[in-house]
This record gives sequence, structure tokens and C-alpha cells, in this order.
Amino acid sequence: MLAVRSLPRVASAATGQPAISFGVQTRNMATLKEISVRLKSVSNIAKITKSMKMIASTKVTKAQRVMETARVYGNSATALYQHTGTSTNEESGKPLVVVVSSDRGLCGGIHSSLSKTTRKYLSAHPEAALAILGQKAKAQLQRDSRQQIVVTFDSVAKNLPTWTEAALIADEILKTGIEFETANIIYNKFKSVIAFDTVIVPVHSYKALLESPKLSAYEVEDPVLKNYEEFTLANTVFWGIAEGNASEMAAKRTAMENATKNAGEMIQKLTLTYNRSRQATITNELIDIITGAMAV
Amino acid sequence: MATGHSALRSLADLDLPRSKIPQRNMFRLATRAVRPIARYPLARAYATEASGAGKLRLSFTLPHQTLLSDVEVTQVNLSSSEGDMGILGEHVPTVAQLKPGVIEIFSATDKPKKFFASGGFAIINPDSTLNINALEAFPIEELDVDAARRALDDATRRSTSAATEAERVAAKIELEVYEAVVTAAGKQ
Repeated sequence: MLAVRSLPRVASAATGQPAISFGVQTRNMATLKEISVRLKSVSNIAKITKSMKMIASTKVTKAQRVMETARVYGNSATALYQHTGTSTNEESGKPLVVVVSSDRGLCGGIHSSLSKTTRKYLSAHPEAALAILGQKAKAQLQRDSRQQIVVTFDSVAKNLPTWTEAALIADEILKTGIEFETANIIYNKFKSVIAFDTVIVPVHSYKALLESPKLSAYEVEDPVLKNYEEFTLANTVFWGIAEGNASEMAAKRTAMENATKNAGEMIQKLTLTYNRSRQATITNELIDIITGAMAV
Repeated sequence: MATGHSALRSLADLDLPRSKIPQRNMFRLATRAVRPIARYPLARAYATEASGAGKLRLSFTLPHQTLLSDVEVTQVNLSSSEGDMGILGEHVPTVAQLKPGVIEIFSATDKPKKFFASGGFAIINPDSTLNINALEAFPIEELDVDAARRALDDATRRSTSAATEAERVAAKIELEVYEAVVTAAGKQ
């Protein structure tokens, strides 16, 4: 007797799959349509994430190239600090914090890692002033440190980072008239395509430079040193933007790759459920027909 | 000379942001009066030569390009805000601001190289390393004298007819850069 035997099988197909629920019931005819709608939307998402991944991977090579020259430049520009032994004087003057993030999301923990480091720094230095590059870090940081924010910049490094852009940003920061002892640039240092480090790089004011122990070895005039401070601020901001951009693109690529993989898995499971419930519906219809035929 | 022209274009582009921010020291480097050729750095540089100078290691970098990275050279000539300097090994440690002008690099193995740099910093460290951070630099052969002359005339005109102080200062900076370009390109 077909009808009697097939009933429990239908039941097990319908209820015995708690793993493939996806928030939709896998029970009757109505769900068949729901599943197909969901299947379609997931495969559309997969298409989007896949193309985003492709875009990010082309951008990551470009950003990496820019980052490498910027890193050489930044290291060379700040080599003076190592030679003079300049250090931060915690007592005098308030520190300035420059957070280098961006406007775009969908790139893993890049921005929240910046905010976390910044919050940690701010809790140790509550008097610090904040300058924020990029909307993401702004949105995260203005929740609890709104009063400390002095200036923010949107749409930073829309394309590849340029020095001119960094110089303008540095100039705007200086125009706010903050008297800082040390400007701490917080950015994501690019380690490899799968890893980044959130680091704090100091830019010392010329006063701090004047007080450094080994500056007397150098032949330098005061106005030149003041110019050097402003130049170094611009350089380090540029360095931070370049490194942050490379890290962001690499993180985006990884995030999008994972998203595509997850969507693929979801499609597979949904297809399975779809086919099972289709089969179950057919079986049900067969039972109806056969029972009807037997009753006649 | 397409390359020469593009070289000039980028120099001019570089000056654009300055127009908005003339009061900053950083951007005022070019407007400073040209001082007489430096007295002592040059003298000291040559003094060390006699004592059998140590090796000078040069890093010459731009934000978008690394021209030379930790290369051993014998002498570097550059023009700073303090005057023209000739740098050999064991030069006295100095922080110098570059003026728009020619940077000449002599090495034992290669032919001397000449670059035109628009501005930046040169830092000589106690360990005889020289870090030159310029904003834009081009081999001198790539400069186009005629394009520079045209741009120079344009800048001269604008420096006299500028309506605002900011525009005038920007034009003056351009003027100084182009003057240096014309001198440098004319000499080659």
C-alpha cells in the first residue's frame, strides 16, 4: 500500500531538517514559492558580492603599489625622529588624534578596529582632540566622544590617495588652531593581503623636536623646523591614507570572498530544500489521486 | 616634447592647493627671499672631503615614486633655503628645506644625475645618510624650456594682476618655481 508507506517519508522530509529552515517553513505548497523567491535573491546577492570582490582585487594591487612608495617616503621623512630621540612629553600640551578611516563599509573589521584603538587611547588621554577622516569612524566615534571632535573630513581617498589631498587635510587640521604637542595618526597598517594592524604613529610638534636630546647635533633653524613639522604632518597623513586604503581594499576582498562563499552554500542548501519540498508536493498529489482512484 | 610638458603640468598642479592656504609656513617656502649663497655649510662640506670622506647613503623619495633608495653616492648638490649645499659623506647633520631647483647626484659608478625638484626637505643624519623628500622631481632632460617660459610669463602676469592676496602669493610661488625651471632647463 503506497499511500501508507509514503506518508511517514513526507513527514520526515518536511520536519526532519531543522538545519535548513532559513526562517521559512518547509512544509506545504506555499513555501515552494517562498523558497524560490529566496533562492533568487540569494543568487543575486552572490552575483553582487562576487563582482565587488573582483573590483576590490584589482584595487588592492593598485593601492598596494601606492602604499609601498608612500611607506618608503614616510619612513624616510620620519627617520629624523629616531636620530634625535624625540619622545612624547605627556605633561605639556594636549595630544591630537587623527583617525584615518574611509566612507565605505563592507570591509570586515577595518573601521571598528580603528574606533576601538581610538577609544582606548581616548580613555587614557581624555583631554585629546580628535580629527577624523572618513564617515565610518565618525559615525562610530561621535556616539561617545562628540565633544572631542574638532574637525572631520568626508570622501577621503575616493580614488587613489594623493599627497595633495593629504596636504590639504593637514592644512585644515592646522587651521583649526589646535596647539598640539604630538599628533597621533591612527591608521590600519597593511601587513599582508589577509592581515592588517591598527597602529598609532606620532608626529611631533617642533617644540617637542626642539626639546629632543640629540637635536643639538643638527644644524637647523627654527622656522625650518616649524615647516618640517607641518610637512611631516602632511606626509604622515598621506602615509596613513595610503596604508589604510590598501588594508581596506584587501579586507574588502576577503570579506566579499567569504560572502560569496556563504551565499554559494546557502544556494546549495536552498536548492536542496526546494527540490525536496517539490518532491513532497508531487508525492502528496499522487497520494490524493491514488486514494481517490481506490475509493471509486 | 610631451613628457616635458607633463612634467610642467604636474608642477603647476602641485601649486594649485597653495592658493587657498598662503598663510601657512609650509607653503611659503618658495616665497622667501632668495638668500645669498650659504656661507658655512658649503665650506664645511668641502672640509670633510680632505679628511677622506665616508660613504654617503642617499634616499631620494617622492610621495608617489621612489627615485633612489639607500644608494651609495659620492656627492649631492642641492639648493636649500639656506643657500646651495654640496653634501659629501660625514657632512654635519642638517635639516634643510629645499628650494625649487636642481639636485645633482654624483656616484662613483654611474654618470651624474640631475633632477629638478619643486620643494621638500633634505635631512642629513649623523650616520651619513641623506634623506631627500621632495614633492615632485623630474630628470632635467624631461623639462621643456619653451613650456616653462610660457608658464613663467603667465605667472608673471598673474602675480601683478591678481585680485586677492592669496592669488598673488600663489602666483609668486609659481613664478619662483618656473624661474628655477627655466634656469635649470636652460643650463642642460
